[in-house]
Amino acid sequence: MTETLACGRATAPLVEQVAEGRGQVLDPHQARCPHCRAALGEIERLWAPVRAVAAERPEAPPSLVESALRRVRGSGGDVEYGRIETPQGHTRVAARVVVALARHLAAQVPGVEVALGRLATEGHRPAGELVPDVEAGVAGGSTAVQVTLAAAYGQDLQALGERIRTVVARGVREVTGLEPVDVTVHVDDVFD
Amino acid sequence: MTATDDERDRDAQIDRWLVGRARDGDPAAYEELIRRHRDRIYRIALRITGDAADADDVTQEVVIQLWTALAGFAGTSAFTTWLYRVVVNRSLDHRRRHRPQVEPRESDLAPVAGPERSVVAGEAVRAGLAAIARLPETQRVPLVLCQIEGLSYAQAAAITKTSEATVRGRLARARATLLAEMRSWT
Repeated sequence: MTETLACGRATAPLVEQVAEGRGQVLDPHQARCPHCRAALGEIERLWAPVRAVAAERPEAPPSLVESALRRVRGSGGDVEYGRIETPQGHTRVAARVVVALARHLAAQVPGVEVALGRLATEGHRPAGELVPDVEAGVAGGSTAVQVTLAAAYGQDLQALGERIRTVVARGVREVTGLEPVDVTVHVDDVFD
Repeated sequence: MTATDDERDRDAQIDRWLVGRARDGDPAAYEELIRRHRDRIYRIALRITGDAADADDVTQEVVIQLWTALAGFAGTSAFTTWLYRVVVNRSLDHRRRHRPQVEPRESDLAPVAGPERSVVAGEAVRAGLAAIARLPETQRVPLVLCQIEGLSYAQAAAITKTSEATVRGRLARARATLLAEMRSWT
């Protein structure tokens, strides 16, 4: 394709037109010019593979990212379990599961901008990473969760805290079988 | 789908909050930060390296090293600008280290598979990725950021520490190079 078409129009703007997704939006000249329309059609055809790449949105393999995050966390972060006894045996639920669930549940509550979950910290492992109340969590199937969050500005934070407590406690109970004996909500910031 | 200005502002605000907490040593905040951006980290790495195994390596390296590198984030630019710059640079370094022979000069772009066959066979993505991978670095980076990831010229300029005019010029050359290569296949 030459740099200038027989009609006098340059091809470079046509390439930009197609690349930016405006190949079908013709100006008055293009609407009646066979050279421009032919050139646009040819560029559209050649550009299809690039458009296909842009349309594809591959996601990072979750195991890949989780493996990297495990290295960041170091060892020891995933060892605590809640334990639910039944006559036929027991189910162990990793502390991380409770944390992830609490975060996910809290983030869905209207008024919450972003939420982080952790298990109750006081008296347990430094930095409070993923550690349930060991006595209650392991022996009694209980767990205590803390949710730290940023909330949307202009709402009743006490009521928000209650809503989060209800949603998180019910969700953790239903999904894991563990009993959330305490759900602490820490509103760390509000966003305008 | 294009994010609105309000959505972008809100995302930036959430990023700032998470970065602040992560820099204070909160691993949960760091994990959430990574969760929010992991797919784009991976996609940029994939399109710049042109190889899934290389993209895996770059993504893992970024996730591991960003935790300590956050201390060096001054907070004067958007977190995403800083993050994408880290990903772009690491992807280019990775590619240079592992496949130094791959980087072609603009003048010696030789055709690979014919696009007709590839596209007809439903392999348009593979054909496109192959063509993008053969672009010179200076053209590939703005093409990946603007054309593929949909970032603005201003964002791409901030990430690459160049001007918007430079980004526009390199993007135009990248498009012309790609079209020339596609045409040479037919």
